[in-house]
Amino acid sequence: MRVGIEVGGTFTDLVAVDQGEVRVIKVPSTPRSPDIGAFNALGAAGIPPESVTDLVHGSTVATNAILERRGANIAFVATKGFRDILFMQRHDRRSIYDLHYAKPAPPVRRRDCFEVPERIAPDGSVIAPLDEAAVTHDLIPALAAGGYQAVAICLLSAYASPAHEMRLKEMIEAALPGLKVAASHEVAPEFREFERASTTALSAYVQPVIDGYLDRFGATLAGAGFTGHFSVMQSNGGRMPAIAMRKNAITALLSGPAAGVVGAIRQAARSDRGNLITFDMGGTSTDVALVQDGEASLAAETEVDGLPIRTPVLDIVTVGAGGGSLVWIDDGGMLRVGPRSAGAEPGPACYGKGGTQPTVTDAHVVRGTIRPDAFLGGGMSLDAAAAHRAFEDVAKRLGTDVQGAAAAAIRLAVANIVRAIQLVSTERGRDPRDYALLPFGGAGPLLAAEIAEELGIREILVPPNPGVISALGLLSADYVKLRGITRRVGLGDETPAIIAADCARLREATESEFAALGLTGPLEHSLELDMRFVGQAFEIPVTVAPAELPGLTAADLAERFAAAHQRVYLHGGEPGRKVELVGLRFGVRRRLDALPEVKERASGLSRPPSAEVMGVPAKLVDAAGLSVGEAVSGPALIEGYSSTTWVPPGWTGARDAAGNMLLRKEG
Amino acid sequence: MTLDPVEYAILSQSVIAAAREMGAKLIRSAYSTILREARDGSAALLDADGGTVAQAELIPMQLGSIGRIFQPCAALYPKETLEEGDFLVINDPYSGGQHLQDVFFFHPIFFEGEVIGFAASVAHHLDLGGGSPGLNAGARDLYAEGLIIPPMKVNIHRDWHGGGFQRLLRANVRVPAQTMGDFDAQIAANNIGVLRIQELAARYGRAKVTATMAALQDYSERRMRAAIAEVPDGTYHGEAFLDDDGLGSGPLPVRAAVTIAGDSITVDFTGTAPQVGTNINAPFASVISASVSCLKAALTSPDIPFNDGSLRPITVTAPKGTLLNPNHPAPVRARMLSCSRAWNAVMQAVSQAAPEKVIAQGYDTTTAFCLSWLGPAGWSVYLEVYGGGYGAGIGNDGCDAVDNPLSNCSNTPVEAMDQDFSFFRVTDYTLRTDSGGVGARRGGTGFSRSYEILTEGALVSYYSDRFTGHSSGIFGGGPGASGKCEVLRDGQVISLTSKAAFNLLKGDVVTISLGGGGGYGAPAERPAALIQRDLEDGVISKELAEAWGK
Repeated sequence: MRVGIEVGGTFTDLVAVDQGEVRVIKVPSTPRSPDIGAFNALGAAGIPPESVTDLVHGSTVATNAILERRGANIAFVATKGFRDILFMQRHDRRSIYDLHYAKPAPPVRRRDCFEVPERIAPDGSVIAPLDEAAVTHDLIPALAAGGYQAVAICLLSAYASPAHEMRLKEMIEAALPGLKVAASHEVAPEFREFERASTTALSAYVQPVIDGYLDRFGATLAGAGFTGHFSVMQSNGGRMPAIAMRKNAITALLSGPAAGVVGAIRQAARSDRGNLITFDMGGTSTDVALVQDGEASLAAETEVDGLPIRTPVLDIVTVGAGGGSLVWIDDGGMLRVGPRSAGAEPGPACYGKGGTQPTVTDAHVVRGTIRPDAFLGGGMSLDAAAAHRAFEDVAKRLGTDVQGAAAAAIRLAVANIVRAIQLVSTERGRDPRDYALLPFGGAGPLLAAEIAEELGIREILVPPNPGVISALGLLSADYVKLRGITRRVGLGDETPAIIAADCARLREATESEFAALGLTGPLEHSLELDMRFVGQAFEIPVTVAPAELPGLTAADLAERFAAAHQRVYLHGGEPGRKVELVGLRFGVRRRLDALPEVKERASGLSRPPSAEVMGVPAKLVDAAGLSVGEAVSGPALIEGYSSTTWVPPGWTGARDAAGNMLLRKEG
Repeated sequence: MTLDPVEYAILSQSVIAAAREMGAKLIRSAYSTILREARDGSAALLDADGGTVAQAELIPMQLGSIGRIFQPCAALYPKETLEEGDFLVINDPYSGGQHLQDVFFFHPIFFEGEVIGFAASVAHHLDLGGGSPGLNAGARDLYAEGLIIPPMKVNIHRDWHGGGFQRLLRANVRVPAQTMGDFDAQIAANNIGVLRIQELAARYGRAKVTATMAALQDYSERRMRAAIAEVPDGTYHGEAFLDDDGLGSGPLPVRAAVTIAGDSITVDFTGTAPQVGTNINAPFASVISASVSCLKAALTSPDIPFNDGSLRPITVTAPKGTLLNPNHPAPVRARMLSCSRAWNAVMQAVSQAAPEKVIAQGYDTTTAFCLSWLGPAGWSVYLEVYGGGYGAGIGNDGCDAVDNPLSNCSNTPVEAMDQDFSFFRVTDYTLRTDSGGVGARRGGTGFSRSYEILTEGALVSYYSDRFTGHSSGIFGGGPGASGKCEVLRDGQVISLTSKAAFNLLKGDVVTISLGGGGGYGAPAERPAALIQRDLEDGVISKELAEAWGK
C-alpha cells in the first residue's frame, strides 16, 4: 500500500492507494507534535503501518521552526570583516513609509557570529590563505564554549572555490565531533553573499529540528512494524528518502504547496492536460502556480518570514485570500477582502464559534453556494443566520442588501485571485486563456468558474477529492534532486562545452548520491540556464534539454534567451547586446509508477434535487454519484466530501474517463 | 460617471498592480548597480492631466514629484498633439525635477485614438556627464552637474533606436552600456504600464478606467484628511541642522512651522538658511516630496496609495533663495541632505502634536559614495547610496543599518562588486558598536564599509552629513554617533570632510562610517535585559552598558 500524509495548519490529510482502492481521510492537526496527527490519520483510516510499502510525508515542521524561531542553537562563521552579513541584509525596507520598521530577525544572534581570516577571488584564486592557526586558537575554542548544535559557514566567493570552506569544515569536525556543520558551497553554491549566508544559516537552524522529528517518526514507524520506503516531500516538487534529508533539510521548507501542484499535475495528465493554472484556496490564503507542458516552473529563490532561501522551488505565488478572509470597508470607504483572516478561531461567522465579522465563506452561505447542512459532507453544520447578520453592516455601508454585499465580497475575492494568476501568467508573458484552470483546496472549486470568466479561460478541470490533492501529490511525487550553481561566463563559442562539463559533473555527483540511497532505475535529467544581458542583475531562466546540448551553439542559446526576455519585458535588447550565462540548475529525476485511478470519496449525504442559489433554483448533484460522461449544466452545485463545485449558468460540467470533472463554458 | 463600488475596488487594485509591475520590471531589466541593485528608480501611472494615480513604492523621494515635473512637458506638448511612438523626457530640477541624474520618461497611453493617461518612470542614472564621473562634488552650478534635458518630445522610431536624441545622450555619458541600458529599462517599464491600462480600458470601457483614476486620487485624499483630522490643531515648530555647505560654512539651519487646521496641513520653511554655492541646495519639488513623505509616514496608515490625492491636503512653502527653494542655476546634486533636514524639522514639529507616532532622528543622511577609475578600457564607476541607523520609536529600537527614510536603496553584494570592479575590493562591512543613541528604546546602529584600492589613479567622491553634528534623541533619548570617512595610507589616517573628492593611491583603504539614530525616552527606563542583550551582541560596549541611564 502507498500512503501520503500531508500535515497542514488545521487538517492532516491522508490518501492511501492499494490495488486500485483509494482511501481519503482528514483529521485535525496536532501542531505541537505533528507526528501524532499523522499517526492519528493512519489509525482513522484503519491502516496498519506494517502494510505500508511506500510512505511519503509532508509537514510544516521545518517552516514552523523558522516562523516561531524554535530552531537549533547555531553559530555562524564568515570571512574576516563580514560577520554582520546576516544583520546588514540588503539595507532596504519592505514597507517604505513604516517608521517603526524592523528587519526580519536572522536565526542567529550577533554574539554567535565569528570570523576567520581568508579571502578567495571570484575566479576561485586565493587572495589570502585560510589562517589555520586562527581557526585552531580562536574559532574552535569559541565554538566549543558556545554549546552549539550546529554551525553555518559562509565564506566570500565560496561559490567559486569551496577550498577554504572544505578545509574549515574539516578542521571543525575533527576538533568538535558531533557538531553539525553546514557549508554554503554545499547548501547553495551561488553568488550574492547575503542570500547564500541566509540559506546556509537557516539550513543549520532547521536541520536538528528535522533530524529529531524524522528520528521520532521513523522510530514510531519501525516500532509498529513498518519496513517500507519512507520519503519526505521537498519544495522543488519531488520527494527524497527521509535519510537524504539529514544532509539538506532546507529543501523540505514549504513543501506543502509544492505537493499540491504535483498532485494537480498528475491528476490533469490523466486527462491529457499539461498546460494548467493551478490554484489552491484554503482557509487563509491561496497558492497559485503556472504549469507548462506538465512542468511547473521553478524559482531560484524563496523566503520564509522575510528571510531569503536560495534553493530551487516550485514557483508559487501566495495571496491572502481564503475562505476565512475578512470582508471589510476601510477608512477611505473602499470594500476590501483580506489579507486578514478569521483563522480557525473564531473562524467565519457561520461556524458559530463567536465570529461576527463577515468572511468569504459567509458570503458563500448567504448567496447559497455553500449549503449549511452539506458542509464537509454534512459533517459540520453552519449557522446561516449568523452569516446574514455578519453582512448587515457592510451592506448598509455599500447601500445595498445582504445578498448584494455577499455578491460584492465574492467578486472582490475573485479579483484578488485573478491578480495572483496574472502575476504568474500575464506578467511573465503567458496568456491565461491558453491554460486550463485547475482549482483545489476546500474553497477552490466554488470560485473556479467565476475566476475563469474574468480571465477568459474556457476550461476548468476539477480533480476528484479536491480537498486532499496535496496528499495525493505526495504519493505521486517523483524522486527529484536539483542542484544550482553559479557559472558566470560571457556567451561564446566555448559556452556549450562549459555547460556540458558542469552537467556531467553534477550528473555524476547526483547519480552517485541516488545510487547510495538505493534509487536505481532509469533516471531523467533536466537543465535550466540562468542568463541575462551583460550588465543586468536579474537572470531569466532558459530551459534546455540536456540531450540537445551537444548540438547547440552559442547563437542558439542567445536566441532562446532573447525570446524569453522579449516575452517578459516586451523587448529583446538592442542588436549586438552581449549575453552572459550566470548559473545553471541541473536536475535528476526518477519517475514513479503511475498511480491507479482515484475516485471521488462518497459523502453519503441525502439531498433535495435543487436549492436556491443567488435567487434562482440550482440543481444539487452528488459528486461521487456522477457517472462518466453525465453532463450537468449550470446553475448547479456538485457537492463532494471535501469540496463543492459551483457550475454557473452558461457552464456545463461532466466527469471524464480519468475521473476528473471538466467544466466548459458553452458557446 | 458613477462607479459601482465593487468595480471601483477591482479596477483601482488593478491600476495599483500595474504600477507595481512597472516598478518591478524597471529594476529587473536594468543594467547599472545604482538601478538594478540599489533600486534607485520609481514608476507611476498618471491620468490624462498628469495627476499621479498609482505608483510603484520604491523611493519615497521620487514619488512625490512625478506629477509636478510632468506639467512643463504637458505645457509644451499638449496631449492632443502627441502621436503613437511619442514620449516625453525631462530631468531639469528647475522645472519640477529632483537632480539631473533622475531622468523622467512619460509615455502617453492611447486608447481609441485619444490619450487617457501616461505611464511614467524615473531612474537615477549612474553618470549623466558633468564635471566628474558619478557625482561632481566640486560643481558650483547646475551646468557642471551633468546634461540638462529640458522638456523634450521624443519619438521612439525617429529619435531612439539609433536616432539623434539617443545618440546625443550616448555621446555625453561615461558608461553608455549601463546608462543606455537603463533608459531601455525605463521604456520597457512604461510600455508595460501602457499595455495594462489599455487592457483595462478594453475590458471595462474607457469611462470606467478614467473614473477610477479620479476616484483613486479622491480616496487617498479622503484617507489622508481623515488621519490629519485626528491630530490636534495648532502651529508647531521644528528645526534641524546641516553640518556645513561643504566649504566650511555652517551649521546651516532648516526650520519648519507646521500648522494643522482641521484636515489640512501647511508647512512653511521660513527661517531656513539661504541657498549655498555647493550642491546641497534642494529644488522645491523635492522639498514637497520630503515634507509630504514625512507627514504621510508619521500620521497615516502605510497602505494609503501615494498619489496626487495625498498631496492635496498639504501645502508647502519655502522662501525663494533659500536652501529649500534655490534660484537657477544653483547646483542641487546632493539635495537629499537638505531634504532630510526638512524631514527632521517637520518630524520634530509633529512630535509635539502626536508624540506616540513619531520617531527620534535617525542618521537620516543619504551618503552617495562614488569610486571611479579611468582604465585602459574606459571608465569604471561604482556608486552606492548609504543610510545609517534609524531613530527609535515609542515601542521599538531603531532599525540598524538601513537606508534613509526618504530613500530605499539596497546595498550592492560584495560578491557582485568583486566580479564587476577590478580597481578596489571591499574588506570590511560592520555594525558600529555604541553608535545608536541611548534611551528607553535604543537608536539604530550605524555601520562602516572599507574599500582597499588596488590600482593607481582612482578617485573617491561623495557627499554626506552629520560628520560634526549628529542625530538627536527624543523625549530624553540620547544622540546617535556621527559619521566619518577616513583614508588609511602607509599607516597614517587621513580624515576627510563630509562632502569631498580625494585622489587615491594603490594600497589606500577608504573607510566610510555611517552614523546611528537617536534614542526614544529616558535611558533609565530601558529594561536591563535589553541592555544585557545588546552588550552580549557587541552592539554596545561594556563601558556604555555600565553608564546606561546613569
